[in-house]
Amino acid sequence: MSELYTEVQRLKDSYPDWHSAMLPALRLAHEKHGYLSPDALRECADALGTTPAVCEAVASFYDMLHLKPIGRHMVEVCTNVSCALVGAQQVLERFEQELDISAGETTPDGEVTLRPIECLGGCGWATIVSVDHHYRTHVKPEDVSRIVQELRNGE
Amino acid sequence: MSAAGTVRLTIDGIQVEVPKGTGLVEAALAAGIEIPVFCYEPRLGAPVGACRMCLCEITPGPPKPQAACTLQATDGMDVRTALTSAVAAEAQNATLEFILVNHPLDCPVCDKGGECPLQDLTFRYGPGNTRMTFPKRTFDKPIPISPLIALDRERCILCYRCTRFSEQVAEDGQLVAVNRGSQTQIATFEDEPYRAPFTGNVIELCPVGALTSTTYRFEARPWEIQDVPSVCGLCPVGCNVDVTTREGKVKRILSRNHPEVDQGWLCDKGRFAHQHLNADDRLSDPLLRVRRRGFEEISWERALDVAEQLLRGADGRIVTALSGSETVEQAYALAKLLRRGLSSHTAMLPEEVSDALDSFRVPLSAIADADVIAVLGDAPIVERAPIVELWVKQAKRNGARVVTSLDEIGEASDPILIWCGPGGGGGARLAALAESASAKGAFYLPETANARGVCDAWAAAADTEPANPDPIGLLIVSGDEAAANPDVRALAEQAERVLVISMFHGLAGGWADLVLPGTSYLERDGTYVNLEGRLQRLRRAVIPPAPDELVWISRLAERFDVAVSPYPSAVFAEVSPIAFGGIPFGVVGDLAELPPATEGHVPGQSRDMAVSEPSGLRLIRYRPLFSGPAVERTPELQFQRPLAEVEISRHDATDRRIRTGDDVTVSSNGTSVTLRARISDDLRAGVVRVADEHAGDLQPTVELST
Amino acid sequence: MANEVVFADAYERDLTKLAEYEATGGYAALAKARTMGPQAVIDEVSASELRGRGGAFFPTGRKWAFIPKPDQNPNPHYLVVNADESEPGSFKDNEIMARVPHRFIEGCLITAHAVEAKWVFVYIRGEYTRPYEVLVAALEELKGREDILDGVTIVLHRGAGAYICGEETALLESLEGKRGQPRTKPPFPAVEGLYRSPTVVNNVETMATIPPIIDIGGAEYAKLGVPDSRGTRVVSISGHVKRPGNYEIENGTSVRSLIYDLGGGITEDRELKAVIPGGSSTVILRYDEIDVGYDFNSLLALKTAMGSAGVVVLDDRCCMVQLGIRISEFYEHESCGKCTPCREGTRWMTQILRRLEAGDAEQHELDLLLDVCDRINGKCLCPLGETAAIAVASYVDKFRGEFQQHVDEGGCPFGESSPLHNVLAPVAMHTHSPVAVVPA
Ligand SMILES: Cc1cc2nc3c(=O)[nH]c(=O)nc-3n(C[C@H](O)[C@H](O)[C@H](O)COP(=O)(O)O)c2cc1C
Ligand code: SF4
Ligand code: FES
Repeated sequence: MSELYTEVQRLKDSYPDWHSAMLPALRLAHEKHGYLSPDALRECADALGTTPAVCEAVASFYDMLHLKPIGRHMVEVCTNVSCALVGAQQVLERFEQELDISAGETTPDGEVTLRPIECLGGCGWATIVSVDHHYRTHVKPEDVSRIVQELRNGE
Repeated sequence: MSAAGTVRLTIDGIQVEVPKGTGLVEAALAAGIEIPVFCYEPRLGAPVGACRMCLCEITPGPPKPQAACTLQATDGMDVRTALTSAVAAEAQNATLEFILVNHPLDCPVCDKGGECPLQDLTFRYGPGNTRMTFPKRTFDKPIPISPLIALDRERCILCYRCTRFSEQVAEDGQLVAVNRGSQTQIATFEDEPYRAPFTGNVIELCPVGALTSTTYRFEARPWEIQDVPSVCGLCPVGCNVDVTTREGKVKRILSRNHPEVDQGWLCDKGRFAHQHLNADDRLSDPLLRVRRRGFEEISWERALDVAEQLLRGADGRIVTALSGSETVEQAYALAKLLRRGLSSHTAMLPEEVSDALDSFRVPLSAIADADVIAVLGDAPIVERAPIVELWVKQAKRNGARVVTSLDEIGEASDPILIWCGPGGGGGARLAALAESASAKGAFYLPETANARGVCDAWAAAADTEPANPDPIGLLIVSGDEAAANPDVRALAEQAERVLVISMFHGLAGGWADLVLPGTSYLERDGTYVNLEGRLQRLRRAVIPPAPDELVWISRLAERFDVAVSPYPSAVFAEVSPIAFGGIPFGVVGDLAELPPATEGHVPGQSRDMAVSEPSGLRLIRYRPLFSGPAVERTPELQFQRPLAEVEISRHDATDRRIRTGDDVTVSSNGTSVTLRARISDDLRAGVVRVADEHAGDLQPTVELST
Repeated sequence: MANEVVFADAYERDLTKLAEYEATGGYAALAKARTMGPQAVIDEVSASELRGRGGAFFPTGRKWAFIPKPDQNPNPHYLVVNADESEPGSFKDNEIMARVPHRFIEGCLITAHAVEAKWVFVYIRGEYTRPYEVLVAALEELKGREDILDGVTIVLHRGAGAYICGEETALLESLEGKRGQPRTKPPFPAVEGLYRSPTVVNNVETMATIPPIIDIGGAEYAKLGVPDSRGTRVVSISGHVKRPGNYEIENGTSVRSLIYDLGGGITEDRELKAVIPGGSSTVILRYDEIDVGYDFNSLLALKTAMGSAGVVVLDDRCCMVQLGIRISEFYEHESCGKCTPCREGTRWMTQILRRLEAGDAEQHELDLLLDVCDRINGKCLCPLGETAAIAVASYVDKFRGEFQQHVDEGGCPFGESSPLHNVLAPVAMHTHSPVAVVPA
């Protein structure tokens, strides 16, 4: 508890106006709790000196902040136009098969969440798959099983 | 060119001249033209331009319709609304079509129906049919967001009025928008209720039927109701209200914006506590004690006989305990009967308010423009005079400094002083402080709604000095606040006989010899004086189940050859020349004016009156806003009762390593209570605050431990 | 690629290293600017005719000149850098930050000097882990280099996934810890921006272009490019080309050359069908409209723009209705929800397009689609909704026959052979609670 609190105080001090610490604080709480659970939002609100409702209002606006539990790993396949043109949908479907879940779901063991995502800003290196927020470029359906294997092996 | 300080512009071909800084919506009104709006509400801060209902063609400007609500009038501007511009008409029609795309159109079963801006604007500017052939978005509906408010998300048009109120007016951070885009919705955190002093305002702000009052839902149609303009009688602010009645019953209370007093906001007590009128233990017949603890209902004729006997039997040894919620007329009538008819001058008055303050009289709205505000007295403003808190918050948003001691005012000129708490000496001390600080204005916040009016009325009836009768032959307890007051109860122990005027059995049972049913401020005609010193008009919204106090006081007075009129206007005509400068009853209008400040300062007490600070922390126990007889009788308000919390200043909390949410033991002289800590930035160091009902037997000096 | 400015030396050396960057003359422009005084720097940038690289193409020098002088407004000044790059088709800022971080930082410091700001906030899109790490490392290397930093604080502020935060006022809201919803203008950020103080918002590429301008002089820089579109531009080429990637070109290069020379032509040597010239928000170009200069005026003549310089190339298998759905779903997902036409209109557009694709639409719905676009366009609070409407309307406009075919044939003539067939977009999924029940 107090670790996040102290860290958030430091964040507040690093801006001319403490309100700016909101997003970094939410990211921190997200990291610590795995997702922004009601308790995480409460803790964040206390540390910032605001209400949990305000934290939720902000958090729920942003795609990277999750208000529902997610897997320990996050696989995001860009399905916007540039990636779709070179086969992103097929990559996404291969992930669904390989992980045996539908997009938007988490594997029953809580390891991996799979979801499509809007343009990741790597259109020239399509298809982009963001694995735990690190980009894999030029991903083809045949690369998917290797990526899943790496995740399963905890790499 | 227009005169200095004004600008001239054209709206649909009509020239108007308005002050610089006037918004286009208001400028159009000046030309007699309506620019339709949903999200625009100047009381909520800077315009947001969200709903796009106000689109107009405006030159100079980009070649597309502009959101008029976000713009100010400038010299030479040419504004074309839907009346004269096809582009604007098309734009407004488009906005309505988009709004209605997902709106359920369940107007026949919607409480807002008939008084709904969305209906009205659709009628005037909207498409006649729908081109939307898709299933509408649906939500679970309605969901309670508190015991007082229901939210129907399907009807919501996302104008963000409610969330802006929560964020920028009440600053409670409870009601927010979550998610994004077409998934956006209004919500509170998790399943927690919207719990804050001013929540009900969002019902009135909502331009559609998305936020409705659980207590008014399905109670009436707009064409079956009547609105009676009156003022709230539950705290010394005296917010202006409209009381909605149907078939002789109060159905709801709405604000009636007095820009100097309340700005159109109400607290939840004022808005919802009217249910006390229909409480189960409401009295309609007089009660006479027959056995030690038993009462018998008696006729009014008999009751007046008994009252006469009690008055005569006391032989002048009468003490009257007043509530401060009586109207000026009631208090004067009672005083005239007792003082002139029975030479009984002794009264326990509600807190007296000093005349010395009159030279610092300014409207409450002056707080918003102050640079510095000193809040003295340590009790929480919101619990005593809630709307004053909103004015202070507004001042802060405008950049004012709010301090808790005079020393902190520093060099700043024209401060405003507010005294909220015990030990104010009716404002005499505050007047002295105001004098020494060269204050622009000073407010003393008494505990009751009409303390000042009652004291003035009592004084107006006679000027003989009271004697202290011993033993007390008869104690007259006038009203529920007095009946609930422990000091009055203690006095009753010493009195031979007790006559209580009360609305509720629960308050009078057990200790009165005779109980006369009382009425509520919603059932009376008359006047109140609020904490600014503003005389305001109460209007009877509904007929009480028992005769008005004035009626039976008048008849009782006859028996003592005292002439008391049963009509408030006549009573006021008598008291006004003595206490209110002779203003006629009819002139105390719907938006009452504040009398000017008096010239010349009354010498007050010296500034050097600091109470010696004891070691340890000073405990301020306060009567919470959500307490008292009316609140206790409104089931939907129970969730608003104060939490078991102790408020601690940031300074003291840091010293003791206490954080909001910690369990803290508050102790004094061997007793202690454990409360949740809440750190407050409005509190000065050395002081802690606890609501009465959670303070147990704590003494004025306490210590904290975790 | 002879005239690289932003990426100069970046392919030969590892410019992420401070020493390497300084070895190529890095931070000399900063030193030069500091000898020049703020107004002279602004004048130099004005002379270069540089226009913002974030999308709106506003003259940079003019924007800086809007900042009120301290006697007009005593509040501190801020420089906010827009590194939120999220426009589909654009990935140039990503590579600029990752490859030439110090040139970017140097540009920020010169700008801070010009507008007299002591704080620089780089709002970097949350998903950009790699560029963020590169910048962190670069700033780490600058620690203690007061000769370079000179009391200026640079804060890297990470976004959290919201395209709208690229819009400058939404970005400021987000940076202030709020939901990223755009503000109404006026007031403009230059007058009332971050913390209600005068604020300059500039794009990453704009910043990275500043040091070379100061270095060679505005007039020299203005010799590159064509009238109204001076200098170079980093263009992101993606989609059906053989060599996708970022290319720094001189403004005015033809679109054909971008596709066939730099991009290497269409993959599998198929036929070109259409090009999105400047990121998803721009009006599409047909295969027969590509002999046009990649510059402001030439594209304006075709009612389109360079936007964020994301060139997306589509081959002849692509269905334009499917493209419409995918783009419309993107904007529906990214609409902030503040203003009515964008929030409701983008959702409605998607619904109509889906009916068209499924073959359920009647003739009048094609007109309805255009009418809905029309009713969004020009009515919104910020450009997001409007660009969605303009882009989709342009697909109908330029490929009307194909849309008509969907109605006439009761379905999609391309079906599964189009790579955009049945692509799952995030908007189809509701990740946050409480969730709307959307009837099937
Ligand atoms: C919806 C929307 C998204 C935008 N996204 C970006 C972006 O990701 N990066 C960017 O630099 N500008 C973006 N812009 C443009 C900015 O509002 C702004 O014009 C720009 O940052 C100014 O910088 P410049 O003058 O250097 O181009 C966006 C605008 C809109 C309306
Ligand atoms: S609930 Fe009412 S006030 Fe709140 S956003 Fe919806 S329509 Fe506006
Ligand atoms: S009233 Fe102007 S945008 Fe809502």
